[in-house]
Amino acid sequence: MSLTSNRTRNLLDRCLRPGVCAILLAAIGGDLAPPAFAQAGADESAIPALVGVWDGGGRARRVNGPNMPWVPGENFPVLNERALAFQGVFDEAIAPKYDCVPSASPALQYDPYMMQVTQWPDRVLFRYEKDDQMRTVWLDGREPPLNEFTVQGFSVGRYEGGSLLVETTHFVFDITGFDDYNGIPSSQQKRVTERYWREGDELRMTLTLEDPMFLREPAAYTTRWLPGPDGYQLQGYDCDAEEAGHPRKFLVPKYH
Amino acid sequence: MKALLWTVAAVLTAAVLVTSVPAIAHHASGPFYDPDKSVEANGTVTKFVFRNPHSFLYVDAPNAEGVMTAWEIEMGASVSLSRRGWTPETIKAGDQIKVVGQPSRAPGTYGMCCAELTKPDGSPLRP
Repeated sequence: MSLTSNRTRNLLDRCLRPGVCAILLAAIGGDLAPPAFAQAGADESAIPALVGVWDGGGRARRVNGPNMPWVPGENFPVLNERALAFQGVFDEAIAPKYDCVPSASPALQYDPYMMQVTQWPDRVLFRYEKDDQMRTVWLDGREPPLNEFTVQGFSVGRYEGGSLLVETTHFVFDITGFDDYNGIPSSQQKRVTERYWREGDELRMTLTLEDPMFLREPAAYTTRWLPGPDGYQLQGYDCDAEEAGHPRKFLVPKYH
Repeated sequence: MKALLWTVAAVLTAAVLVTSVPAIAHHASGPFYDPDKSVEANGTVTKFVFRNPHSFLYVDAPNAEGVMTAWEIEMGASVSLSRRGWTPETIKAGDQIKVVGQPSRAPGTYGMCCAELTKPDGSPLRP
């Protein structure tokens, strides 16, 4: 064993003691580090092991579509009049994804691609192969910036009872911000709450969506990821704007 | 025997679901392509664009009247295709191929999606 490996092993041995040198391990590499926390008063037993590459593709769950994961008659949200009006005038051609604008919550989590999770002391990083997106969930108690709104919003979280709870706000208005498939927008009042936990080898999540501008009541779905292939590295997505918009020519135009 | 038949049916159904659903995970196919129709093109590949969020296969094939038609076949994201072993070289310009799928809706266009691809020897090319 090399000197570097010995040092790493010694460091790992020391770090098996509760609460020791999590920050050092994080500096070595997020994937090596056991879950550590900046969350005041968090019990280490409350922290689930979420680190890894997770497969959200067809072998883990039914692939997304107009009726998945929001199933009519089951968990499809009740739309208000404003949402129905927007949906009525919606034209598929205007969907931002045809110009490579990335997918956002609550659709991004259900896209059938790989996802990598890294747990650092003060944050959890969710990296999505779809659209090359990265979400940072802050565990250090910080507040969302007052007037900063983005496609992915601002996420804060905490560990509780073996789960990671994430709350995301401060989204920009998104004309397809509900699910990418049903022509339903989401507003800057969208709030997405996610609970992640482990069940055996699987990663599970329940996502709850609130948006009083468009939904009469919260709606939720639960899904899972399976462990990704051994050694799998997320690929770059590099959305090609020309190809993203290519299918538009096959639509029967709704507006001229 | 009955149990065996049910098992075979279930396996076939699962296989169809697994192989056909992820064709276009980026967007719904319904607004662009007509699932109630089926078209076939048997011709020569002119280009294979291996990209995200979708790849496109270009095939020149004669229609029923013998007039050459340039088909544009939408396929899955390269990031997904590559996990199933595909590369930009899996299909090359000049290859012969048979494509059966759903036609595009806009009049005068020759798009296709959700296609089954077959090589000249009859073997399938599964996206």
